[in-house]
Amino acid sequence: MDGVSFVLTSTVVVAATCLASAVVLLIAERYLANYGPCTIDINQGSKKLEVRGGKPLLATLMQQQIFIPSACGGRGTCAYCKVKITDGAPPIAPTELTLLTDEEQQKNVRISCQVKVRNDLAIEIPEALFRVKQFTGVVERMRDLTHDIRELRIRLVEPAAIEFTPGQYVQLEAPAYGDNPEPVYRAYSIASPPSDTGHVELIIRLVPNGICTTWVFTMLKEGDEVRFNGPYGEFRLAEGDAEMVWIAGGSGMAPFWGMTRHMREHNVQRPCTYFFGAVAQRDLFFTDEFHDLEKAMPGFRFVPALSGAENDGWTGEKGLITQVVERHLKDGSGKEGYLCGSSGMIDASVKILKAKGIPEDRIFYDKFT
Amino acid sequence: MTDPSHAGGAAHLLVILVSAALTDNILLTRFLGMCSFLAISRQMKASVGLGLAVTFVTTITCAINAALYVWVLRPYGLESLQLILFIVVIAAFVQFMEMLIERLSLGLYYALGIFLPLITVNCAVLGAALFMTNRNYGVTEGLVFGFGSGFGWMLAIVLMAGIRERLKTARIPPALEGPGITLIIAGIIALGFVGFSGMVQP
Amino acid sequence: MPSTVTQAKKALIAELWDDNPIFRQVLGICSALAVTNLMFNTLLMCLGLVWATAMTSLTVSALRNYTPQRIRMIVQVLIISVYVIVVDIVFRAQFPDIHRVIGPYVGLIITNCILMGRAEAFASKNPVLPSFFDGLGAGLGYSGILMTVALIREVLGFGSVFGVALPAREVWWHSWTIMVMPPGAFFVLACMVWAARAHALRLDAARKAKEAKK
Repeated sequence: MDGVSFVLTSTVVVAATCLASAVVLLIAERYLANYGPCTIDINQGSKKLEVRGGKPLLATLMQQQIFIPSACGGRGTCAYCKVKITDGAPPIAPTELTLLTDEEQQKNVRISCQVKVRNDLAIEIPEALFRVKQFTGVVERMRDLTHDIRELRIRLVEPAAIEFTPGQYVQLEAPAYGDNPEPVYRAYSIASPPSDTGHVELIIRLVPNGICTTWVFTMLKEGDEVRFNGPYGEFRLAEGDAEMVWIAGGSGMAPFWGMTRHMREHNVQRPCTYFFGAVAQRDLFFTDEFHDLEKAMPGFRFVPALSGAENDGWTGEKGLITQVVERHLKDGSGKEGYLCGSSGMIDASVKILKAKGIPEDRIFYDKFT
Repeated sequence: MTDPSHAGGAAHLLVILVSAALTDNILLTRFLGMCSFLAISRQMKASVGLGLAVTFVTTITCAINAALYVWVLRPYGLESLQLILFIVVIAAFVQFMEMLIERLSLGLYYALGIFLPLITVNCAVLGAALFMTNRNYGVTEGLVFGFGSGFGWMLAIVLMAGIRERLKTARIPPALEGPGITLIIAGIIALGFVGFSGMVQP
Repeated sequence: MPSTVTQAKKALIAELWDDNPIFRQVLGICSALAVTNLMFNTLLMCLGLVWATAMTSLTVSALRNYTPQRIRMIVQVLIISVYVIVVDIVFRAQFPDIHRVIGPYVGLIITNCILMGRAEAFASKNPVLPSFFDGLGAGLGYSGILMTVALIREVLGFGSVFGVALPAREVWWHSWTIMVMPPGAFFVLACMVWAARAHALRLDAARKAKEAKK
């Protein structure tokens, strides 16, 4: 057989086999992997969903516009997407075992991206999640606050307005690029006040080799479209008039920047001291804005502190932020603590606040993972 | 190596079956299918499950591949395409089987985990098909050979699992743990299987 | 960002020893062991495998930005198949006698965990030159082990090296038949894995002791 007819026949035979296999698989998928319509009962009947089985619970809920938090996008690594399944749950998968504590397993808490919907389910999720939506927006303004911290001001497109309490966060989607074949989601606190319903501001610090932050710092431009879900989170100002102690540095300022502007708009008069820790002067930002806030709100004090060695010309506080709190906070009884930052910084701050007399249940924090 | 003639007959098929499962065991004599063998033979339940799955896949795909070879490839002189075609058939069939197992037994599905899709690249499955064409088997012979090979593989992994369960209480030098001791045991079992070689006269 | 050349070199060296696929993960022994009773056959097999692995890694890396996520595995398998078919054709033409013996095993290079493993783990995420050297290194590391097993088996089983009878064979060599048979390969490989693991464990222990002192 000569070359040409060989190539021709080969192509036909290979293509035919691939086609036949594809057809068989499609039929199989229709009958075998088709788990038919399933009902998901949420929160003891407060909401009932009719869905098509066969997909992971996380994805199925997302299709129904219910957004369970997820940082890894369904790969089974971040353990954000925990959902309590009270009825109809399949046997626990090996991939879930490593992410759930024994206590959680007892309480029927499962990793929703690893649970496939194969039959009717009854689940329980926090009410707040019903308010979570998927947003598309446009970068209205991007400005560098320090050498490694950038502020994004996003104008909402669809939906055009967002409702949240100050302190909550959104999950920003960094699209696939370069060596990253899939989009990733990273959580950032909302830095704008809720009154600005058509915008969301984020304060983002560049993490070396961070997938999302590298995208924000090197590829994102003003006018680009961005996507995020939210709002999520339980971090917020507690009810009442108790005096507050805030501790946060760097991008940890984000929730507090929104909170202070919200407090100013609503004339909240709670006494509050905000300790802002940084290494050097070049890491400070919004200092003027906070001094203005101090003038506008009599009970509010802004205490920046630098921990670095060479800070000539700095007349403010020096030392690690925990040392500064130590010096300034005389007695913590009757006060509340609010913290935002890395787990190391939070652990150290919780220790000092407790030592000063603030009870553990009056200390609230938002840990960066 | 037995090189059976094309004469049909139950005796001939029986010879193929016995030699594929015992004397010419695809794992212990031909070294195929070791990756999952070394890893899964730690647990008996998973070994039996995987063994059954591999037997099922090998039997059916050998039959399909034999048919493809005899009715399509050989008449058109396209034998060199067998590699690609066999892989496509095996991959599709394994995916089909994955869906089937997930439907029928969730426990088995989880137990096999990553090794289910890995059956696609299990050398034993493709190897059985390639040996089959190397020896010019027909479709029935191919089917029997596939079953024999798969069953032989299952035999080896179940034997190994049984032994390793006993080993759990034995003291093994740390550097030998895992693949090291498994290979030695495999060698000893292989030695045992050599004893079968008298059963089939060339 | 390290330069591409340094990256390439690092990839090569890592594959040869530290991450040597057989020792570290006991991967891909399948197709190979069967041919290790004769060194020449093993050499041919290794050449084919090294070439196929390096070329596969190179091609997968070159195409990595154009391959949709869903069909990535299938594309990798197809690329591997093409190169292995080429190797098969070359062997069938140049070494027909040997090909009759090791034929099916050459085809089985396709399913060799190493090719798919390197393509998936390295080549699909790294530039072309380092991927090529990663594949080359993996293939060479693997071949090193195989040739060693073959050396032991042929010397002890046949008393020859590459088919050439060793000097004074009649005097000191007694044919150790088991080395020629399959079980022999299992035992030789087991001993090599044992030695390598013991060495690695010793290194680990020494490193841990050093860190504990700090």
